[in-house]
Amino acid sequence: MKDKSVLIIGGGVAGLCASVELANLGVHVELVEKTNFLGGHAIGYACKAINDTCVKCGACMVEEKLQSAVNHPDVKILTGSQVKSIFKNGRFSAGIRQQPWYIDPQKCTNCGLCLDRCPADGAVLQGFSKNNIPFYAISDEKCLYFKDKSCSICGDECPEKAIDLDRDALEYSIKADAVLVAIGFKPFNPKDKPYGYGVFKNVVTGLELERMIKRVGGVKKPNDNKIPTKIAFIQCVGSRDAKLNHLWCSKICCGSALRMARLIKERQPETEITFFYMDVQTFGKDFEQFYKDVQKEVQMIRAIPGDIYEMDDQRLKVNYVDNHSHNTLEEVFDLVALSIGITPCEDVQSMVGLLGIASDKFGFLETINDRVSVSKNGVFSAGAVRGPKNISDTIADAGSAVWKIFKYLSFK
Amino acid sequence: MAVAEEFLTTGMEIVIATRDKTCGFEGFADFDAFQILTETRLISCKGSVGNFIIQAIKNNKLIKLSVGGIIIAEEDQRTSNFLLYGLNASSNVITLSQMKKVLGDSSFNKNILSKIKKVVFLTGFGKESMPVIAKEVMLSSLVLQKDFNLQTYILTKNLKVAGDGLESLYRETKKAGTIYIKFTDAVPDIHQKEGEHIRIEFFDEITSKNFRLSPDMTVVDETIVPSRYTTDFAKIFHIERDVNGFVQADNVHRYSVLTNRKGIMVAGPSRDILADDDQKVDAENAALAVTGHASGETETKAEKAQVSEGECIRCLTCYRLCPYHAITLNTQVKVEPNACERCGICAAHCPRKAVRITDLEPCAITDLITIDTDMLSSKTFMPFIVAFCCRRSAAQARDLAICMGHRLPQGLKVVEVPCSGAVSYDHVFAALDNNADGVMVLTCHKGNCHSEYGNIYAEQTVEYVQERFSRIGFEKERLLIKTLASNMETEFSQIVNRFEETIVKLGPSRLKKN
Repeated sequence: MKDKSVLIIGGGVAGLCASVELANLGVHVELVEKTNFLGGHAIGYACKAINDTCVKCGACMVEEKLQSAVNHPDVKILTGSQVKSIFKNGRFSAGIRQQPWYIDPQKCTNCGLCLDRCPADGAVLQGFSKNNIPFYAISDEKCLYFKDKSCSICGDECPEKAIDLDRDALEYSIKADAVLVAIGFKPFNPKDKPYGYGVFKNVVTGLELERMIKRVGGVKKPNDNKIPTKIAFIQCVGSRDAKLNHLWCSKICCGSALRMARLIKERQPETEITFFYMDVQTFGKDFEQFYKDVQKEVQMIRAIPGDIYEMDDQRLKVNYVDNHSHNTLEEVFDLVALSIGITPCEDVQSMVGLLGIASDKFGFLETINDRVSVSKNGVFSAGAVRGPKNISDTIADAGSAVWKIFKYLSFK
Repeated sequence: MAVAEEFLTTGMEIVIATRDKTCGFEGFADFDAFQILTETRLISCKGSVGNFIIQAIKNNKLIKLSVGGIIIAEEDQRTSNFLLYGLNASSNVITLSQMKKVLGDSSFNKNILSKIKKVVFLTGFGKESMPVIAKEVMLSSLVLQKDFNLQTYILTKNLKVAGDGLESLYRETKKAGTIYIKFTDAVPDIHQKEGEHIRIEFFDEITSKNFRLSPDMTVVDETIVPSRYTTDFAKIFHIERDVNGFVQADNVHRYSVLTNRKGIMVAGPSRDILADDDQKVDAENAALAVTGHASGETETKAEKAQVSEGECIRCLTCYRLCPYHAITLNTQVKVEPNACERCGICAAHCPRKAVRITDLEPCAITDLITIDTDMLSSKTFMPFIVAFCCRRSAAQARDLAICMGHRLPQGLKVVEVPCSGAVSYDHVFAALDNNADGVMVLTCHKGNCHSEYGNIYAEQTVEYVQERFSRIGFEKERLLIKTLASNMETEFSQIVNRFEETIVKLGPSRLKKN
């Protein structure tokens, strides 16, 4: 397989795993990631071990796969890059556009001064993995330099002179024998749900809560940075929703929310937690025991709240219909976490256009024959681009795609 | 079956062994590369990846097989849940598998299904169900509603829709007329009397009313369980099992078909409860893993553990502790270099120090532990802290903590070890001997150790030394063990900074030389 090469689009869990597996078979890999950071959404997930015991959320595996991919000599990685064109004439030939390297990875020492000094919120982005070099990136959209050239503080103050905001984008042409689409998913944006997301400070998404736990080791209220006394998790936000035609379970949210709930109870025992749900989904091999334990620590309410109001003190009033009394009840919380679902990646349609593949009725990439991934003439797919998957399923799916690619390349 | 199919085109030689009389693989008999052994019982397995020797019995004869890799891939095994519902099997109380059979057999089903009107499915009481089972329940109910015009009821607690297409299927069954009754705290009262219809009484949470159902047929769900051979497999192949008894440890490092043995994979229902599609995915992953091992691309060249013949007294400590079963016993105790993962557990625990791994010997590690001369001459006490960190977890967390700008103790010296199980008494004492004021062992969370029990051995080592410290009047607080994951940079800095505070309070170690 020494002379073969595969283009992998997407540097999340699926793309990283597939890169490593293919490279281990001696195949050359070109990995193209749209954002500045590898690891997809999952690289921001927190370890949710409790009582010194792993709960098998798989978050740590993302870092491990990322490290293996970055360090593999046969994996070439282009971050901040997008596939602009792709042609097949025997082999695939792809045109890639890479955003300018404002921060020189060779010079940057990850000191973080650029982030400290930047006056614009969100203009300097910080990664999650130390293996992602550079650890920082500059956002075209938020940076003041690109608006009106009014600020170049990061470049001026960088002790290594690693930052140059005038760098140009780069273009590459990549040749490959097969293409793997692993562009992942888009987290549901809950702003149109009646929960005040984006308006009320203390309404956050489950994904944001994962990142908060990872960054600060616990949960704090965004409005005043204090420890919340009452937290609510609302499940199925954007999943199992007929109004949105989201007729799927996102599979990951029950595990993520309940594991976080137990972690919070362990680290901040004074915090009360309520879990609003439809059906608790099974996750993990020891679910039976986990479910028993979590019911002792967390108030489980089988109802999906209708709406949320913010009170004068920024606490949140959650309304829901009680199953027993059939009355609408109100309960006040300091923090509400919305377990947002997995929705189709916004780039599925552009992949469909570029590669002549199809999407399903919900907008995920189509699965052919119920199970075989897209493999039309050397185009394959892996991971949540075809529908919700947790980390372990994604790792397995990447292996499955690699095996299919291997067979395809062997007979080509 | 699916596993074998994956190899059809690879040109690899495959042996299929089964205890059954037939195996469904007969179609493959024409392929020269396939050898099929039915009614064969495995007895033992020796060797390591690339060179396993398996002994088995077929027709009362002992046979020997030499193979490069092994895949365990049984079909799924179920137990019916009659007991959970207080029911006995009868003509109108059947299992889910029986219902599937009825629906699959056209001559049969006309007879049975033409006489009935109401069918109740019971699933997920007493024991939580699984998407695999929920799918079968919903599919059966859909066929009964649509093709046989029967009224179906699905009684459940949590409807398990976390499988591909299951929410859509749920909506489809509802549209077709299936009635769902979900229970949260209460369960239905089920009465069964011989010769009578089953009577199910319950309080419905949605309408707040009491109902009674008398179905013509009641279908109880099933639990997918490990096969009865899993104990044998675990013993023969020295594979760790999970809490439910499946032949794969519940450990993220084994994703998706790996075991603690290199070259031995486990696919499908032998390792977990899996949907059909996921079983196919497993088959592909197993094929991939075998191919990877066969091509030898992943093999590391680093030097493996070695047993020094003169010093070994055959106490078998290494043999018992090796998580990868890399120690072989013949005339000599030897390490299989292909199976050894260099975790260092054997070397740390050998009472004669007869097992060695280059770079992991206490003397080699001692060289790494050198105190900064500035620290010794500093007027205010700055503790010298040695942290033995697992390469996979704590050492990664340290690097990330630095990257994220966390403040770490100035006198912190991290010594990376391949597994915390490699930390021996000698390592702890070497650190103290080299001026450490405090020693930490930072290891993986339970159930997350790549070497399965390395973190547990580390805990035992630390507890033992702490106890000795207490006895001789040395502060046991100077030795600490904590668990961490690779992505816990915040917790890493919290732990080491807190430890530094403890040591500052204790003052310099009395064992310090200067």
